[in-house]
Amino acid sequence: MNKIDNITSVHVPDKFLITPMLVFFIIHSMQVGVGILGFESYISRYSGFDSWISILISGVFIHILLWMVYQSLQTGGGDIVAIHQQCFGKYVGGMLSIVLSVYFLLLALTVLRTFIEVIQVWMFPSLNLKIFSFVFLLLIYYLVVGGFRLVTGFCLISVILTIPLLLLKFFPIMVGNFNYLYPAIDHTILDLTRSTKDGILSFLGIELLLIFYPFIKNPQASKKWAHFAVFYTVLIYLATALTAFLYFSEEQLQYVTWGTISLWKIVEFPFIERFEYIGIALWMYVIVPNVCLALWGASRIPRRLFNINQKITVGLFCVALYILILLFDDRQRVEQLNVFANDVGFYVLLYIPVIFLLSKIMYEVRTRHER
Amino acid sequence: MWRPKKKEQEKNIDRFQSLSSEQTVQTLFDTLEHSNDFKRYKVGASGWVISYVSTMCDDKIINDTLLPVLKQHELQSLEDMKDKLPVDNIRVTEDTKKIEENVMTGYIIVQEKSADQKVLCVPASKYEGRKVSIPEVEFSVVGPKEAFVESIDTNMSLMRKRLPISQLTFRELKMGSITQTRVGVVYIDGIADEDNIQTVFQRLKNIDYDQIIDSSFISQMISDNSTSPFPQLLDTERPDRVVEVLVEGKIAIVVDGSPHVLTCPTTIVEFFSASDDYFLPWHLATAFRLIRLFAVFFSVLSTPLYVAILTYHHEMIPEELMSTIVASRADIPFPPILEVIILELTIELLREAGARLPTKIGQTIGIVGGIVIGTAAVDAGLTSNVLLIIVALAALASFTTPVYQIGNTIRLIRFPFLIGAQMWGLVGVAMVMMFYIGHLIKLTSIGRPFFAPLYPLRFRDLRDAFIRLPFSKQSERPLQTRPETSRRFNKEHVSERRDIDE
Repeated sequence: MNKIDNITSVHVPDKFLITPMLVFFIIHSMQVGVGILGFESYISRYSGFDSWISILISGVFIHILLWMVYQSLQTGGGDIVAIHQQCFGKYVGGMLSIVLSVYFLLLALTVLRTFIEVIQVWMFPSLNLKIFSFVFLLLIYYLVVGGFRLVTGFCLISVILTIPLLLLKFFPIMVGNFNYLYPAIDHTILDLTRSTKDGILSFLGIELLLIFYPFIKNPQASKKWAHFAVFYTVLIYLATALTAFLYFSEEQLQYVTWGTISLWKIVEFPFIERFEYIGIALWMYVIVPNVCLALWGASRIPRRLFNINQKITVGLFCVALYILILLFDDRQRVEQLNVFANDVGFYVLLYIPVIFLLSKIMYEVRTRHER
Repeated sequence: MWRPKKKEQEKNIDRFQSLSSEQTVQTLFDTLEHSNDFKRYKVGASGWVISYVSTMCDDKIINDTLLPVLKQHELQSLEDMKDKLPVDNIRVTEDTKKIEENVMTGYIIVQEKSADQKVLCVPASKYEGRKVSIPEVEFSVVGPKEAFVESIDTNMSLMRKRLPISQLTFRELKMGSITQTRVGVVYIDGIADEDNIQTVFQRLKNIDYDQIIDSSFISQMISDNSTSPFPQLLDTERPDRVVEVLVEGKIAIVVDGSPHVLTCPTTIVEFFSASDDYFLPWHLATAFRLIRLFAVFFSVLSTPLYVAILTYHHEMIPEELMSTIVASRADIPFPPILEVIILELTIELLREAGARLPTKIGQTIGIVGGIVIGTAAVDAGLTSNVLLIIVALAALASFTTPVYQIGNTIRLIRFPFLIGAQMWGLVGVAMVMMFYIGHLIKLTSIGRPFFAPLYPLRFRDLRDAFIRLPFSKQSERPLQTRPETSRRFNKEHVSERRDIDE
C-alpha cells in the first residue's frame, strides 16, 4: 500500500494553493460558458415553458454529484489521477486519465469554437478565422502558462465583470408577458426528465474539481463554496430561462438560436443601442476563463502522469486546438461538435457515481486490510 | 548588469579598478594632485601636513577651528591633537580606503609628515543643496507641503520628525561601484514583515552597476518584472505619504541625490490614491477617488472605443447621436484609426514638449498646441470635432493620476487598445484588456501580489482601495504588507454605543 501512496501522492507547494472561497469562482466560471447564450430553446424542446422546473431538478442532481466528487476525492487522496491509479492500476488508470484529459480538451474546443461562431454570426460575418483564432489562442496560452493562480484570478475578475450583464434582464422583463408561464406543470414526468437531461448538460464543469482539488488550501472548507457556486449557477440559469420565456412565445423560442443575445438587442440607452455587441465583447470574459480552466485541466493530467513540463503540453494543446478550430469551419460542423461534446459530457457525469462507488469500495477494502 | 558576470570579463580588469585598489596614502594623494581643487600644505612650526578637497570643505572649520589649534598649540602626536580640536567625530586611521572615502566627502586629513600612513580625519564637510520646498509633482491643496530634497540626511530627518520612535530603523548601503551612492532602507521594526525586509536587502545587494544617479535606477533594477510597463515600486516626493505607508508596514528606499523615495510592496490601487484622500472626509475622498478611477478608464478606453464603434459597430449609436457624429466626420478623408493616431500623437508631442520646456514657455506651448493646432486641425478637415473633444478629455483625465509614474504607463497602454480596436472592434478591445488583466495578476511587488486587494481578494484591504472608509473602520493594517502587528487601535472604543443624552 505504501508503494501506491508513493506513486500517487500529490504535493502542491504552499504558494500555489488557493483559498477555499475561490472555489466558488472556479466552479461557477467552469459551469457557465457559451451554452447559456442559447440554451433556452433546447431545454424547452420537450417540456416547453415548464422546463424551468427541469433546471431546478438538474440543479439538485448536480448538487448530489458534487457531493460525490468531494466524497471520492477525500477518500481517494488527491486528484483523479491518484484515484484512477488506485482503482485500476497504473496502465488502465493512466488510460482513463488520458481520456479525461482529452475530454477537457474537447470541452475547450467546443466552447472556443462555439464562441467564435457567435462572433461570426453576430459581429463579423467575414472574420478571418486563421488570424483571429491564432491571436485568441496566444492570449489563452499566455494566461494558462501563468499557472493555476492566474487562471483562478481571472475567474474572479470574470464573475465580477459580468454581474452587470444580469441587470440587463430588466429590459425584457419590463416588456415580457407573464401569461406565457401559465398553466404551470402541464407536461408529463417523462417530458420533464428528457429536458432535465438536456438541462443537466449546461451544468457541466464540476468534474474539473477532480483535478484541481489538491490546489485548495483547506478542502473541507471549500465544500460550501462549491455548493454555493452550483446554486448560484442554477439561479442564473433560472433567471435567464424565465426571462426568455417571458419575452418569447413557446413557438417563437424554437426558432431563436441565441436567446440571451437576442434579448440584449432590445436594450436601449440614449447614448447606446444594440447592446449585444457589448454583451458579446464582455462575454469574452466568461469564455476565456472557461477555456483556460479546461486547457489547464487537460494539460495538468499529462504532467501528473508522465511528469512532462506543463508549458510544453499547454503549447501542444494550443496548436491542436488551432488546427481543430480551422477544421470546424461551418455552422453544421460546429453544431455536430456541440452535440458530440454534450454526449461525452453526459457520460462523464454518469462516470462520477462510478468513481464514487469504486473509491468507497477501495477505501473499505483498504481499511479492512489494515486491520 | 546585476547578473553574475562572465569569467572573461573578470580577467579584463581595467585601469580604473587597478588605480583604486592597493594604494597607499601617498599614491592616493598623488592621484588627487591632478585636481586643482585639492589643497595640500604644511602648517605651523611643527610642520603638520594638511590635505583636503577645497570644494567639499567648509572654510569656517579650517580657518576658525583647525588652523588656530595647529598654529598655537605645541602638539606631540595625532592623538594629542584629537583631544585638543573642538570638532566631534575625529578619527585616527591608517586604512587607505577609509581615508579616500573621507577626503572625498569633505574631511580634512592631517599628517605628521607627508609620507605617513597614519592620519587624522577631521570632518569639515559642506553640502550644497536645495532647501526643503513644496511638492511640485504630487501637489495637494490641503495637508503638509514639504517635499523631499536631494540629500539623504535631510530626507531622513523629514521622516524622523514625523515618526519620533526608536523602532524607525534606517540601514544604509553603498551602491554603484563608481558613484558610491548612499542608499538607505527605512522601516519600522516590529511592524514591517521580516521577509519583505530580507527580500529588499537581497535585491539591493544583488545590484552590480557602476552608477546609481536616482532612485528610479533602483526602482528599475529591483522590480520583479522589469519588462512590465507598470511600475512595481511606488515613488513619491511627499514625506507624509512615506510615513503613512511605513506605519502600514511597508519599506521605504531612500537614495542620496534623489528627491523621490521608493516604497514597497505596493499594489495597483495605491497608484490611484492621493494624499488628499486622507485629508478630506471619507465620503468626499471616496467620491473623488472613484472619479479618478473613472478618469483612468476613460483616458485609456475612450479613443479605442471611438475607433471600434465607428469602424465596426456604428449600429450601436442611436440615430440622433449618429447624425451629430456623421456631420462632424463628413469631410474627414481618413478612417477613424488614422484620425485617432494623428491626434493622439499630437497630444503626446505637446505633452513631451511641455515637460521639457521651462514652466512659462510650457504654458504657451499648451495654449498654442491645444487651441491653435486643435482648431486648425478641425478647420482643415483632418480630424473631427467629436474626436478632438474625446482626445482632449482623455488627456485631461490622464493627468488626474496622483502618481506621476503610472501616468506615463497610462499614456502608453492605450496604443495596444487602439490596435485591438482596429483589428476586431469591441472584441479586440476586450482581448487587449484581458491580456493586461492577466499581466497584472501575474505581477508581484517584492514578491507580494500587485493586483491585490482585487486578486487575491482581501476584503480588509478593500476598505482603503477604490473607496476609503472612515478611520474608525480601519482598525487593522492592510494584509498586503503582512504586518507583524496588525492592530492599529482598539476597535471596541469606537464601537461603544451611546444613548441619547448620555
